[in-house]
Amino acid sequence: MTAAAYVEDVLLVDRCLTGEPAATRELFRRHRARVHACLFRVLGTNRDMDDLLQEAFLQVFQSLRGWRAEASLATWVDRVSVRVAYRYLSQRGRRVQTEVLVDDEAAPSFEVGPGARRQLARDGVKRLYAVLDELSPAARLAFTLHEIDGRTLAETASLVGSTVTATKLRVWRARNKIEAAAANDPVLSEFLEPRGADVIPFDDSKEAP
Amino acid sequence: MKLVGRIPVEPLDDERMTNIERRIVAGAADAAVRPAQAPRRHVGFAMAALAALITGVIGWQLGGGTEPATVAGDSLPIKINTEAERATLDIGDAVIQSDPDTAFVVTRPAGGVLVAMTRGKVELEVGKRGDRAALVVRAGDTDVIVVGTHFSVDYGDGTGEVDVRVTEGVVKVVRQQQEVRVAAGQAWQSRRGRLALADVGGPDGPRAATQAGTELRAPRPQPADTTDGATDPTGPVAAIAPANTQRGSGFEIDMTTAPDLLHGRTSQVPDGRVPSGARTGSGSSNGATSGSGAMGPRTVTEDPKDPMRDIKKLIRGQHVEPALDVGKIAAQAIGEYHTIIREQDGEAESRAFYSIAVTQHLQLGRNADALNTLDGYFRRFAQGKRYSDYQPALWLRVRVLCLQKIDDRCRAAAYRYSHEVSGTPAAAIAERITLTE
Repeated sequence: MTAAAYVEDVLLVDRCLTGEPAATRELFRRHRARVHACLFRVLGTNRDMDDLLQEAFLQVFQSLRGWRAEASLATWVDRVSVRVAYRYLSQRGRRVQTEVLVDDEAAPSFEVGPGARRQLARDGVKRLYAVLDELSPAARLAFTLHEIDGRTLAETASLVGSTVTATKLRVWRARNKIEAAAANDPVLSEFLEPRGADVIPFDDSKEAP
Repeated sequence: MKLVGRIPVEPLDDERMTNIERRIVAGAADAAVRPAQAPRRHVGFAMAALAALITGVIGWQLGGGTEPATVAGDSLPIKINTEAERATLDIGDAVIQSDPDTAFVVTRPAGGVLVAMTRGKVELEVGKRGDRAALVVRAGDTDVIVVGTHFSVDYGDGTGEVDVRVTEGVVKVVRQQQEVRVAAGQAWQSRRGRLALADVGGPDGPRAATQAGTELRAPRPQPADTTDGATDPTGPVAAIAPANTQRGSGFEIDMTTAPDLLHGRTSQVPDGRVPSGARTGSGSSNGATSGSGAMGPRTVTEDPKDPMRDIKKLIRGQHVEPALDVGKIAAQAIGEYHTIIREQDGEAESRAFYSIAVTQHLQLGRNADALNTLDGYFRRFAQGKRYSDYQPALWLRVRVLCLQKIDDRCRAAAYRYSHEVSGTPAAAIAERITLTE
């Protein structure tokens, strides 16, 4: 983080602490996309996402006085968001994904075109989150933040308030569990280790070449 | 398994995002108006605690006690009797160093601290007490009331002169309903009143010769136990009155087999054990300073049972960049640093800022203040890497936090340090801190 960005954060927080609505709005707009993405990657498609996003930011503003400027504001906001996600996972008894998976009876064929592969990718994501539902909240956070959100182990450990070693162990266990599930699930297996050279995301806005 | 970037985020549409934003802005404004409203259930606990406190005070008053009304019935006395060695007792609010052949009882009346001396000499380092009840050292008919300071009280053999010497801060001496303020550099004697420290032979005074002595004195007989050891300055001490060691909820500490609690600050204290829970009141659980930071330089305290002892030892062993030397005692030096901050900028301002934090931590033991100062430093010097005190300030923050407790805040500080500074022993220690469970 640059010094200018740091100063900007400090000034923005000071304005927020005076209760200035414009500053509150600005802070929210600056961080909403990242917080939403983080929550989405941890929790998957979720009907409570609006509430969670709102809850995360309300927590941020309620504890803004506690920001000690030792970490960047973004990191601190992320930490609060992760805590909200953790609480949600704990309260929901780990069962977060409730969407119906694709019919397992139909044997998937991988020799298909881009459209079908996108559908397979969607199904793969659903199955992945179904396995994640079986993990402990701490393991799920560690795995999703590191493996899906792309954060480093140190960053993940800092966000979940654990050590790097413990985080690494959680990620490793989660990965083992997912690989074990993938061994019996060709859709998940194909999603995790696609056989084609090109990994096709299931985002419809991106057309395959 | 490469999943990064492969799970796109389903965006929230503008309308939903706007609704969320509106609710958050309203909620944040509400939070700004009511920043620290405690949950209702805390009110219940507070009411219950208040009722218990009132009951305790009333019960004690009905019991016919003669101590001030601030003395509640839930006090936990710690009895100290040093025989041949000097000893150090960290009670959380204060560090009490006692000379050989010193006896005193420490109680916690209603949030305050009462050090009731039977004989000998104690030297205290006490942090700023803020709104908390006073710390009082009682020597016979003389009360020394502490505001936050470093001083000693010499009660001799327990029958004669009381000698108070203040090396830092201010104390109030109350005797026979007369009150005298004794400031740093002054002394007060029950026969002569207030006088300059230089006139009484410096801070060590006439008993200095006996302080280092190792001769064993025969235990002298003590007055009989009265009503409540918690408030009885003449109560028996375990080492010399074993028949009276069972005293309700109190603790007995026999300095001939010195407790762990006292060990570590001075090599002169022999090994031994302490009853569990002997640390009273707000004393920190790990043997380091309390979170309030309202203490003298207690960061050297070690708790042998602390699983983080090794890493704390490493932290303590690490060099701390000293404060700017302005040739004054701590409190005055801080005033000098403030002047520098007001009048100068850049490197000099950074140096003065850092020096305040170092002084607060190392000399005054005011860790909470030191942390606030460091927060101010990092806010003020966002481009702090340009100044030579930036890295020492980062390390000081690690030191202050981690000597208190190896927790998330400590790890976060260590994490930041290890990412900003590399290749130094301190960075290696910081790295190790981040890996602790």
